[in-house]
Amino acid sequence: MDLLSQILVNGLLLGGLYAVMALGLALVWGVLNIVNLAHGAFIMLGGYLSWYLFTVAHVDPFLGLPITAVVMFGLGYVLQRGLLNLVVRAPMFNTLLITFGLEVVITYLAQLAFSADFRTINPPYAGGSWQIGPVALPIARFVAFCVAIALTLGMWVFLLRTRLGRAIRATAQNLVAARLYGVEPRHLYAVTFGLGIGLAGAAGGLYGTVSQVNPYIGAALTAKSFAISIIGGLDNPLGVLVGGLFLGIIESLTTLYIGPTFADVASFGILLLVLIVRPSGLLGKTA
Amino acid sequence: MKRFTPALVAIGVVVLAAVPWFGSDTFIQFGINALLLAVLAQGWNIIGGYAGYASFGNSVFYGLGSYGVGIAMVQWQQPFGVGLAFGVVLGIVFACSLGVVVLRLKGHYFAIATLALAQVMTAIVSNVKLAGQNVGLVLPPLNDDRLFYELALALLVVATSTIWWITRSRFGFGLIAIRENEEGAAVMGVNTTLYKVLAFTLAGIFSSLAGGIHAYWVTFIDPDSAFDITLNVKMIIMTVFGGAGTVLGPVVGAFVLSAISEILSSEVTTIAGLFFGVVIVAAIVFMPRGLADIVRRFPQAGWRYFKQNIQAHRL
Repeated sequence: MDLLSQILVNGLLLGGLYAVMALGLALVWGVLNIVNLAHGAFIMLGGYLSWYLFTVAHVDPFLGLPITAVVMFGLGYVLQRGLLNLVVRAPMFNTLLITFGLEVVITYLAQLAFSADFRTINPPYAGGSWQIGPVALPIARFVAFCVAIALTLGMWVFLLRTRLGRAIRATAQNLVAARLYGVEPRHLYAVTFGLGIGLAGAAGGLYGTVSQVNPYIGAALTAKSFAISIIGGLDNPLGVLVGGLFLGIIESLTTLYIGPTFADVASFGILLLVLIVRPSGLLGKTA
Repeated sequence: MKRFTPALVAIGVVVLAAVPWFGSDTFIQFGINALLLAVLAQGWNIIGGYAGYASFGNSVFYGLGSYGVGIAMVQWQQPFGVGLAFGVVLGIVFACSLGVVVLRLKGHYFAIATLALAQVMTAIVSNVKLAGQNVGLVLPPLNDDRLFYELALALLVVATSTIWWITRSRFGFGLIAIRENEEGAAVMGVNTTLYKVLAFTLAGIFSSLAGGIHAYWVTFIDPDSAFDITLNVKMIIMTVFGGAGTVLGPVVGAFVLSAISEILSSEVTTIAGLFFGVVIVAAIVFMPRGLADIVRRFPQAGWRYFKQNIQAHRL
């Protein structure tokens, strides 16, 4: 029983991180209709940025997150404005392929710049944990989880309540109508992609504190983010949060009871089931 | 130009068939790889280019073909031909049983469902005893590159002829109708489910044959390389680069891109990878309909061709 509750807690903490990883992908997908295959690569870049901030400038990884997010936002804005806006109305394969091309470019550039070694962000409190009853709560993971939840809820409020958030949702629903109401689509698309990449950057910073970063982690993280977005649905950040937590717990349970090689089978099996039974996601509105 | 195409194709095939008699060993090996990739690109062309369904599951067929040959030859001591047939049967069963389910999904959702299938297959095969789990299988060696080359070429010719037939058949028009407007096609009396499953199965047959030939040629298979998803991405890139939904485009795309990456990887692998990525990005921006479309429209439009492409798709 103790083991089970520990596994559940671990799964939950992992799931929060998963949710932030997927949030940016779901946002870009839902609004711009671009499935960003380079999403994981941006998470990786965010991880490296945080790592450099921590090792070179000695910025605490959690306090450095805003810097990472803002830099990545800028990168995302420029990429969308200068490149992706040029192909955004092309058929689906094309946007899929161009983001794949970006993924390849980013991965190889990262390999040239950072070498293939694994990097971990190790703040002094990294190894510590709090004991609550029978369950140990690793500090770094717990803080990462809290930041993840805060980011997701913040994103939710932003999309629901602010003027810019409304403009983004309006664009997702009807580009032409949004344009008539004074939304400047080129700028708005770039802001949305920037937000997605900024979130990916923040997720990368968090990922670096709980796991290891190297140039090749991108593809697997993209795949995971996909699964979560599908399971949660693209409609709203809370769905993504639920999807992330759900997947985190399922993976931990599968690892414990069936074996670590089946963690991926479980997550992708669930993804398939959800796609077939409820294509709009567990919490999504049915079309 | 149009009048000479059949003659040019015939000459091309004869030249290609003669390669093993004057090419060096490394060139023949490069040729086998390029031919098999071209077959895979053609397979993807049927489901992705004509029916308009962006499949990420074609690498599963390739893997099933490899394992069909591997299991039949290693575990059951059967000849190569039986292995190929077994791989094709596995591919057909997969295409029919799962195709019916996933082909109901559209657009990105289909792409991702097939991607998930590919992931699941890797993990499942790594746990099957008959398939050698994650260690893989070692096949009996056969050092006859000429034979493999001619087999691969023959397969490519058959695949390309099939696609040529598709473009002139009721079946092909049905697929194109599905790509352009699926509801419309259904209203006009196209049995969309049957057509899509057939297209998926055809793609599966060619891909699994390619996988089978490759398995016997390299004499070693393991789950990670047999069900490698980057292979699927390669097929898509080669098809789109050459021209999706054209008869010869994917073949040209596969040859050109194989040659580029072969030349580059003999220099520095990192730079080669980087260049590949840049080529993909540039190709999507400047020539989204592939080489085939450039050949068709560049003579009239000139350099404005590239500008028109960007203007057609920009926000």
